[in-house]
Amino acid sequence: MKPNKDQPAATERAEPLGSNSEIGRKLKQYYDELVTEEVPDRFADLLRQLEDREAGTSARKGD
Amino acid sequence: MAADIDFKTGLLGAVPSLRAFAVSLSQNSDRADDLVQETLVKAWDKQSSFQPGTNLKAWLFTILRNEFYSQMRKRGREVQDSDGAMTARLAVHPSQHGSMDLEDFRNALERLPEDQREAIILIGASGFSYEEAAEICECAVGTIKSRVSRARTRLQELLKVSGESDYGPDSIAAQVMGSNAA
Repeated sequence: MKPNKDQPAATERAEPLGSNSEIGRKLKQYYDELVTEEVPDRFADLLRQLEDREAGTSARKGD
Repeated sequence: MAADIDFKTGLLGAVPSLRAFAVSLSQNSDRADDLVQETLVKAWDKQSSFQPGTNLKAWLFTILRNEFYSQMRKRGREVQDSDGAMTARLAVHPSQHGSMDLEDFRNALERLPEDQREAIILIGASGFSYEEAAEICECAVGTIKSRVSRARTRLQELLKVSGESDYGPDSIAAQVMGSNAA
């Protein structure tokens, strides 16, 4: 496997807020803390319910 | 059928990012989780309008953002006040210690106008490009750039002020230089 040289440079993305800036680093730290919080079960449950609801409707349609 | 499963997996996988964005917008974790829930229901219902192969996360962020602003309009600003956010905003004290800690940063972020806060979060933390952020916020790329720039300037002002009594801005700058040697 050759490394993909066509990948866009990630540094282009957030240049004014890159790792060189204290603000940029604090922003990532703040956000990473939120992203890594444990996710409550309610969201997985909700998606299961939505899926079941849909399965129910299409089964009825099929009858 | 397989597409349905992919879609569901995609939604579930996006939940941590959606929650982080929702907290950043609403500054309230209970409200944030309600926003995420509403976003997932809306996304499920309009699954057919999502084009497979395009950026699911950006699509979901757009839905969440629209939901946030429509709730804001419906409930009015006083909701935020009743949660104590406004009180906190008015009562931000300079930090007791000179180094910029995460709490100082959180307070400063909270004091930004919504449009600037969301722009700097999307670009600086959620990992979107300016083009993607512009699409999510339904505005021009230049608008996003200027919001990010104003947000950054404002944060620098707010945070320098909070550290000034002990160390002053110069020493913060020196810290930044020093810690970036690598």
